[in-house]
Order: sequence, then structure tokens, then C-alpha cells
Amino acid sequence: MFRRHCLALGCAAMMLAPGAAWAAGPIKIGFPIPLSGPTATYGVPILKGAELAADEINAKGGVLGRQLVILPRDSKANADEAVRLARELIIKDNVDFLVGTLTSAEAPAVSTVAKENKIVFLAPSAKTIGLTAPANLHPYIFRVASNTNIEGAAGAIIMAKWQGIKRVATIAPDYAYGHDDIAAFTAKLKQLRPDIEIVDQEWPKLGEPDFTPFITAQIGKKPDAVYCALFAGDFISFVKQGTPLGYFKAIHNRLADGGEVGAVDETSALGADYPYGIWADAYDPVIWSGDETPAHKAFIQHLRAFTKSKYGSGWSVMGYISIEALADAVKKAGSTNEQKVANAMLGLTIDTPIGKRTFHAKTHETEMGEYWGMMTKTAAYPFAVINDPTYYDPEPEKE
Amino acid sequence: MTAMFLFLIASGLSLVFGVMRVLNFAHGSFYMLGAYLAWQAMQWLQPAGEAFWAAAIFAALGIAVLGGIVERLLLRHLYGRDELYQLLLTYALVLIFGDVAKYIWGTGQLSVQRPPLLAGSIQIFGTTQPYYNLFIMALGPAIAIGGWLVLTRSSAGRMVRAASYDREMVGALGANVGAIYTGMFMASSFLAGLSGALVTPLQSIVPGMDVLIIVQAFIVVVIGGLGSFWGTFWGSVIYGQVLSFGILIFPGFSLFSVFALMVVILVIRPWGLFGRPVR
Amino acid sequence: MNRRRALLARSVPWTLLVFLVAFWVPWLGSRYDTFLGTQIAIDALFAASLNLLLGTTGLVSFGHVAYFGVGAYVCAILMKTYGVPFIVAFPAAGLGAALFALVSGYFCVRLTRIYFAMLTLAFSQIVWAVAYKWNSVTGGDQGLPEIPYPDMHWMAAVPGLRDLGSGDRFYLLTLALVAVSLAILWRVVRSPFGRMLTTIRDNPERAAAIGLNVRAYELAAFVAAGAFAGLAGALYGIFNRGVFADYVFWSKSAEVMIMTILGGMGYFWGPPVGAFALVWLNQEITDYTQYWPFVLGVILLVLLFVFPGGIVGGLVAGFRLVRRHLAGRDA
Repeated sequence: MFRRHCLALGCAAMMLAPGAAWAAGPIKIGFPIPLSGPTATYGVPILKGAELAADEINAKGGVLGRQLVILPRDSKANADEAVRLARELIIKDNVDFLVGTLTSAEAPAVSTVAKENKIVFLAPSAKTIGLTAPANLHPYIFRVASNTNIEGAAGAIIMAKWQGIKRVATIAPDYAYGHDDIAAFTAKLKQLRPDIEIVDQEWPKLGEPDFTPFITAQIGKKPDAVYCALFAGDFISFVKQGTPLGYFKAIHNRLADGGEVGAVDETSALGADYPYGIWADAYDPVIWSGDETPAHKAFIQHLRAFTKSKYGSGWSVMGYISIEALADAVKKAGSTNEQKVANAMLGLTIDTPIGKRTFHAKTHETEMGEYWGMMTKTAAYPFAVINDPTYYDPEPEKE
Repeated sequence: MTAMFLFLIASGLSLVFGVMRVLNFAHGSFYMLGAYLAWQAMQWLQPAGEAFWAAAIFAALGIAVLGGIVERLLLRHLYGRDELYQLLLTYALVLIFGDVAKYIWGTGQLSVQRPPLLAGSIQIFGTTQPYYNLFIMALGPAIAIGGWLVLTRSSAGRMVRAASYDREMVGALGANVGAIYTGMFMASSFLAGLSGALVTPLQSIVPGMDVLIIVQAFIVVVIGGLGSFWGTFWGSVIYGQVLSFGILIFPGFSLFSVFALMVVILVIRPWGLFGRPVR
Repeated sequence: MNRRRALLARSVPWTLLVFLVAFWVPWLGSRYDTFLGTQIAIDALFAASLNLLLGTTGLVSFGHVAYFGVGAYVCAILMKTYGVPFIVAFPAAGLGAALFALVSGYFCVRLTRIYFAMLTLAFSQIVWAVAYKWNSVTGGDQGLPEIPYPDMHWMAAVPGLRDLGSGDRFYLLTLALVAVSLAILWRVVRSPFGRMLTTIRDNPERAAAIGLNVRAYELAAFVAAGAFAGLAGALYGIFNRGVFADYVFWSKSAEVMIMTILGGMGYFWGPPVGAFALVWLNQEITDYTQYWPFVLGVILLVLLFVFPGGIVGGLVAGFRLVRRHLAGRDA
């Protein structure tokens, strides 16, 4: 009698825990990204997007029957810190893959760690063209983000259409992203409008608390329009300091910024202080005027619920896509073997909430563009919204 | 205007060093905590508006109290010992206060609106000068003059200056040196907290602002001379000018120019422009 | 009785002993233990070099990371950009750091106390600014990643070492180099030169009165400390697989100073013990909380008020207490 009970219980137990007996443990994804400081405005939502993706995938049974586990670490937008954290994640936590870093200083540094340890690394945000330049390319690096060539060119194309512009100035953070972006912008602008003169270039450092000397210097040069690459917390400070000094008035808000300051994260942080009328971009406009796909609607609904935020984020989609891509690659490869997954990533096309994206086999990046538009005031929202978001993806410059 | 802000912050640092010979690393932390306290007060006093002034005073007083506690409980016990211990104590406080701020207020950027009274701006010589910035530019010299007057004209000020020259003598003469030191430290913290509060409409409140500001303050007091009010004032002015010129003329090297200035001053005239010649 | 014990303490080759114990980590520990061990060894040398200034000569330098950084960049640039072998790049790093220490030290030792500390800080920030901006040479904000490992193929010839990976091999190489450097530093501190430095620390006026050229001695100590810091930096650049400008920020100078004092700046082995303790504590604590700076600050406070002699100081005092207690009982 007793034995039969045990047998029944044993059978029931076996039926209730199908995967437990032979699961090889979770798939660990190391996630170094800035979680504090001015760049955290973008870093935190990217992580949240990744966690949402992992949650959804795990709910459907995980990848190859294994759960995805994300190990976040605060890199403080510091290349040295990112490298240290990446190595710790690999050596101590034995992560299977690396996803993360925000800035174009962190990503190339972590890329070398990935190369040496032969670990697949996806960068959701870093744009410097140097990350995937032939000299630095290796089998394990993949970029989800757009790149500085695309962004700078898009900014130039947009500005070239503006009337009455003869003098243009630039202001960008003093590191690889800023330099590469401005270089791409000025090259394309020269091509399209050789009559325009670049009259001033300012280079505040990333995380600069006080932009006033740079603002006053630039106002002094009397530009007609400005191309700006400041982003996240820096852009917020820049606006708060520039507006009272009459900066935006002096250029009649003819400013274009490629640093995703059109994202909801940024616009809601600035609220009524936002310089309406500037052109900005975002990977995910979140608030679409018209043709929003059902996939995107569902994604934003889930995101809002997951992060308990009213409007969602324009950045989470990048973290989300990174994890989706990784999961798809692992499924395609049939294992977590690094070489197999890296091979599976080449040419991989995935369905994202903002459309199909493909990781080009030659460049290891999606070469995706972003949605640009003029930032306008609407009655429906207490913050600026991209008016008629248009996808810009000019052909990346051939190296 | 940057210069006047630095003066407000650095004046406290200079004061404490002049009287107590302590280089207070935590001065930047007091500045940061002052900013956070002001923000917090603004949150409590919603809708804010003119409450900004109350919030600023509240923050400054709060930090003054904190400074007093630090001085009485911790710093006081290390006076007899090597200066290194005092320096390290203040550095330990930087670490501790930094994390306390992160714990209470999180890691994101916070900001405060300009007070409506000073929200507008005026056109001078073709440039736009916001009223708030003008206010700060006026406040700097006001505090400099005020502080100088108190130190040179009042009996309390004379006591303070005497204590900075010769502590034992002043104690022998019956003055309560302990109270003087506590008072000075609290005054210095008050200034730090006030500057932190006043900077909130201009700059974002973010973790790490304590570390960024303290080095700038060091440079200013070195140029002007540790312990001299007017030195700190002119030191800030020079710092502001060098920075602006650096940005204008050597855009790549503005970072470098202020440190180079610090080196030059320390090599040629270590006690700064207005300090007492002592090596 | 005490003299014999002191003699015993001095003649025991502590450096060799520690080296022999630490030697077995790659076999006994995990890959992560070797990783930590390499970091501890490098930090131990860095902290010991600072202690030549801090503990031995009484010079409070806030810019010691400058020489570490110069050494790191020199070695990295030579090895990566110019393909110079490690055996040349390593001493060159020490030399480069020593040269910079000579130039900056010349100005620094003319000042005392706070002004000395401020000038060392200023020079250190200049190194940081240059590292950050001089893109063509230092890689600027991107830094110099992918620094090659030194040629360690010769290790395969040594029996037992053949199967070790590059991380383990580099650990052993680092351990050997650090041990030799510490042994040299030990000799320096114990030499007549070292005793002069101690005299200067304890009573600078008296030292000048008996005819010592205080500044020259201080400068010499500064250069020596800089050289060893440079060697530590060279090793770090390779260990970290890259050199980045952020590392040369002044907060690293504060960190190494805390390490030195945590271990005990009055004892030669204090800084290495402090390095071990700090790295280990950092590991343990960051597993539980992100508020490591808070913990570090509290530890520092406890040190300052309760254990000014650091860990080694506390151990020595405790040991003496026990001995006296035992002796008292026997009496």
C-alpha cells in the first residue's frame, strides 16, 4: 500500500518537473551598462528592455529549454570599469554571453575582452564606426545600434533641406562617438551643401556639469543652425543651461540632434523645458502619429506594464532586440557554443517591434537607421513628441 | 558666473584650511548634499515656486548642522595627530556621504526649476544674461566683502584669525578654541550647502558631482592662497577666465589648462596670490 | 632576547616564503583566484612603492597613480605599437616613470605638507588630462586595448608549467617580478639610505642639522617610489588587457593610499597585506551590495580611530599583548 503511494507520488513528481532532471542550468548573460550618472537615463531603460525580453522568452520555456538569466553591472560609462566588469563576469560568473555597454568608449574596450575570451558580445547602443571597423572586427562582436556614419549622414541630409542656412556650428561630447559623428556629419554636409560653412565646433567632455562656457563661446560665433551630438543627461543639462542664455532663441531652434533626444525618456525628463522645434531622433518613437504596427502596440503595452511607467521608453527596444537576437541565434545554432552562435548571428534576420532587422554578415551590424522628426507640442502629452517620425537610413559610407 | 559659483564653494574650503589647517575633501560632499536637500525640500513644498529660497536656506542650515556633528564627533579627536589622518577622515566621509546620497535619492539626474522671481533675463551688450546668473554674480562679491568684514572688524572674527595664527596662545588667553573650530567648520559647511542649493536651477544633481567639484575647488584655493577670502575670490575669477580662454583658444586642451595653471602656481608661488608665504 | 627575535625576523626571507605560498594558486585555486591573485600582487607592489614615500619618508603623495599610469602607458605603447618585447618594455616602463618622477619630484619636494600633496595631485591630473587627450599616442578616451601578453613560451620548458594557460603563466611571471621588486625595496628600506629617510620623516630639522641634504634624499625616494609604481603599472596594463585614461584619475591614488594604511604604513609588509585585504574585501562585499564605497569609508574610519597601525599594526600589537600576558603569567 505504502509502496504504491510512493510510486504514484514519484510518477506525479516526474510529470510535474519535466525539464528539471536534464536542464543544463540557465544561460547567463553578462550585462555591464551605466546604471548611474548622466548616461543612466539611457542605460537603465536598455537593461529593462533586455529584462522584458528575457522574461517573455523564459515564460515560453526559455531557449533550448534553458532559462535566460541577466547579470547587470554598473559600468558608470567608464571604459576601464566596463573592461574590469566584463572580465569578472567571464572569469568569476562564467557568463555565456555579453550584452551591453552604452558609450562608444566602453564598447570597443569590452569588444577586445570578448575577442580574447571568444565570447559573443552584442552592443545595443554604441555607435562609433570604429567598433566594427575592419581593423577591430572579430567573429564575436555584433552591433544592434545604428552607427555614426548613418547618424551623421542623416543629420546632414535633414539640415541640407533647411532654408537660409549659411553658417553651421557643432557641439558634441569629446570622445569617439562625438568625433566620429561630427566627422560623418560634416563630410555629408560638404557633399550636399558645399556653400555651408562650419563656423564653430565645441567639445565639452562627456558628463560635463557646466556647459555655459561652451554655450557662450558658440553664441559668440553666431551660427544659423547647430548639429548637436549631446545625449542623455548631458543634453538635459545643456538645454537647462542654454535656454536662459538665449542659445536656442539665437538659432531659432534650428538644431538637429542625433543622440536619441527624441526618445520619450529624454522628452519626459525635460517636460516643458524641451526646446520645441528642434529635430531629433529615436530608435522607437513610442508615440506614432498614425501607422503603428500591432506588434509595436503590444510591445509598448507590455513594456509599460513591466516597467510600471506611464509612457514606456524609446530605448528599451534596443535591449529587447539584443536579447531576442541572441536567443534566436542560440536557437538557430542549437547550442551555446560560441563559434556556432557567432556564425548563426551572421545574416540573422529578426522581427522586432520596430520592423525587421538583419545583422549583415560582412559588418556584424544591423546598420539600422532611426526615426527623425521635428519635436512638437501636442495637447495629448505633457512632453515633446516626434512629429511624423520618418525613418532615415542613408547608405553607410563605404570605408 | 562659473567663477562666482566656484568662489562660493571654495570660500568655505579656504576658511577651514586657514583656521584649522584641515583640507576638507568632504567639502564637495557637503555641496552635493546641499543640492539634494534643496531638491528634497522643493518636493515637500510642492507647489514650489518661491519656496526655492526657503529650500536653499533649509539646505544650507541642514548642512551646517551636519558639519557641526562631523566636527564634534569625528574631526575633533584627530586634531593632535598627523594631518594625514584628518585628510583621510574627510576622504572617508566623501565615500560614505556619496553612497548615502545614492541610497536616499537614487542614481538618476535630478533638477530644480528656477525661482519665478529670477526666472527672466536681460539683454546686456548684445548677450542675454539671465537674472539668476546675475544674482549669483552679485552674491559672490557680496559674500566676499561680508566675510572679509566679519573677519577683520568683528571681535569674533579677530578671535578666529588669532586662532589660525596661534592656537595655543588663544586657548591660554581663555578663548574657547573648540567652539571657534566648530563654528568655523559649521560656517564653511553652511557655505558649501548654500552653494549646492543655489546651483540646482543651473546644473543637474547627479552622483559624482562631489568628486568633480572638489578638484576645481582645490585649484581655486591653490591659486588664490589657502586661508585667504580675497585670494579665493580672485582665484575663482582667474580660474573662470583661464577656462573660458582655454575653450576659446585651445578647444582640445581646456581640461589641461587649469591643471597646468595649478602646477605653475605651486611651483612659482605655492602660497598663492594672497596667501601667507609659508612652504 | 628581543635582539635575537628581531634578527630572526629580518633574516627570514619573508618575500621568498610568501612567493612560495602564493606560487600554488593556479593549481589549487580557480581561474578567478588566479585573476585576483595577479591583481593583489600588482597592487601590493604599487602600495609598497607608495609606502616608501608615506611610511618611510613621511611624504604624503596624492598623485602616486601618475607614475603607475606613466609606467602602464610606456609599457603598453612599446609592446603594442612598436612590438618591443616585454623584457625591454618592462624596465623601460620603470625608467619612464622614474624620469617623470624626477622632473615632477624636483618641484614637489621643494614644498611641504599640504602644498606637496596638492602639487602631486596636480601633476597626476595633468597625466590624466594628457592621457585623455593625446589620442595619437595614448588612444585618448578609447585607451589602448589589446595589449599583447609577454612571450611566455619559455615557460613550457619548465616542468610542470607546460599545461598552464596564459592567465596562469602571467600570474606566475607577475608573482616572480613583484617578489623580486619587493625584495629590492626591502633592501632599500633597510639600507643606510632607508634609515636616512626614516630620520627625515621623524625629525626633518634635526636631519638638516646633521648635514643631510633633505631635499636630495626626498627626491631620491620619490624617484625610487615612482620607478616601482611604474613597474606595477606596466604589469597592470598587461593584466587588464588594456590601459585606459580613467585609471589615472586621482581617486586611484586615494585607493592605493587606503590600501597602504589599511595594511599598516609603519611596516614593510603592511601595504601588501592591505592590498590583499582590500581586494578580498571588495570581492566579498560587492557580492552582497552595491554600496562598497560606504563600506570602504566605514573601514577607513575604524582604521583611523581604532587601528591606526593598520592590520599588521593591530596584529603586532595583539601579538605583543599576548606575549606580555604569557610572560606576566610565568613571572
